[in-house]
Amino acid sequence: MNTQTFGDLSRRDVERHLLVAVDESENSRRTVLYLADFFGGLADVFITLLTIIPEPSEDFFPTEAARVKWLHDRRAVMEQAMADYRDILFAVGLREGQVESRIIIRPCTSIGAAILEEQEKLRCCIVVVGRRGISHSEEFVFGSTSNHILHHARNYAVLVVE
Amino acid sequence: MVSPRTPPTTPPAAATIRDAIARHAGADKVPTRFKIIADTSDFFRVDYNDVVVLGERTFWIKGYEKEGRFGLDDEPKYWVRRAVDLTSGATTILKLVFHERFETRIGEVVITCFRSPKKEARILDLVAAHPNFMHGSWTQDAAGNIVRILEYISGLRYDEIITTYGADHEEYFHRFFPGVLTDYIELVQAIKFLHDHGEKHGDIRRDHILRDSERQVNRWIDFDYTYQHGESMFGFDLQGLGNILIFLVGRGDVLVPDLYRDQRQVFDTLWGEDLNISYKNRVANLKKVFPYIPDSLNRVLLHFSRGAELYYETTDQMLDDLATAQAALALHTGRGA
Repeated sequence: MNTQTFGDLSRRDVERHLLVAVDESENSRRTVLYLADFFGGLADVFITLLTIIPEPSEDFFPTEAARVKWLHDRRAVMEQAMADYRDILFAVGLREGQVESRIIIRPCTSIGAAILEEQEKLRCCIVVVGRRGISHSEEFVFGSTSNHILHHARNYAVLVVE
Repeated sequence: MVSPRTPPTTPPAAATIRDAIARHAGADKVPTRFKIIADTSDFFRVDYNDVVVLGERTFWIKGYEKEGRFGLDDEPKYWVRRAVDLTSGATTILKLVFHERFETRIGEVVITCFRSPKKEARILDLVAAHPNFMHGSWTQDAAGNIVRILEYISGLRYDEIITTYGADHEEYFHRFFPGVLTDYIELVQAIKFLHDHGEKHGDIRRDHILRDSERQVNRWIDFDYTYQHGESMFGFDLQGLGNILIFLVGRGDVLVPDLYRDQRQVFDTLWGEDLNISYKNRVANLKKVFPYIPDSLNRVLLHFSRGAELYYETTDQMLDDLATAQAALALHTGRGA
């Protein structure tokens, strides 16, 4: 039985550690279900569920209190989603020590870049993202997180789940 | 967060205000009745001839500005008031606080937009010494509302000026467009300045560029809008820049229905990929309409077409391509920047 834990970053280069970027969307849930199907029951796989909540600008809110409330509500939504995703992974035999969830609230101009920064810190060997299948013009205006990750990934694998 | 300003003091007496109005406009122009307003929260209360007091400064309110957005031409903007600064006598624009959140649609894409007085105040501070933006200051009224006091710009909309250049497109393109492109590059560099400081313009449209007739410079106006961005923070701004460039190259919008009616042979060569990614009735691949447009310039336009495979993510990328296009245009027309 594997006794490795998340606390030992020195072994990250040799272990099977997936960084899974999620939000509360159905698309993310589908991604977690796919991983559960693929990696369920494997004792030497580690999964970090990551969500990035971009700290919203003060410009979007009439008051600071409204901004703080928005962040609080957003965090609550993600905590609920993370609990759901963990249950999915535990249901296929993954143990408590194999799954970690991280909710990062930070200023960011690019969610894709923020995900890749987390990969650098955690040294995961696979980055997993879902893809919404956005339209051409939507990608033009808003950009695509999965495309950003695909274009900027170096020295690790990227798994895009559609 | 914007820095705090001096809180307002006790409003001046009506007699003092009457004297100030008489001094700047003449005794016969002093209104018989007017309100003195220190709290502008309800901007509908601010009527013609009222006086708004902001700290030590008083403003004699005149007309309101008008909205040119989304086909709502001449829609009054009651929160944007022309006013006379009773200290200096200068005409100013007062922008009162109006928090607005709405969704706009560019083609099939829905964008959540916000109107933010804080953002505009912050950018006014940032661009105070930049020639390509409107200038002004801001303060808080008695209720803490952020009121922006904008310098009045004398001049016309840039897009309305350039459409008068040349007898036809070919003359416009060869004789005037090199200068227009230089102007445009300067405007993109101004937006780069904002982006480099982590700010969006938020509402880049061709009617938000004024040609300042006194300073002979183009100036971006109205940056109180912001939008909820996705992966690309500046994508919406870049989309606006692209639409303006297509307009400038075409000397106006080149519309598909017009080509169908007037130039059927050109219409027949158009494909879906040639159209503007945001507005399906506008042509982006203008070389098919005006064959003398150099390839390097047309390639910039194609970044904003429905057939685009690559998009600009930064103004730097766009400026690099525009520099190449400008050099090619100088060779093509014999007119440098």
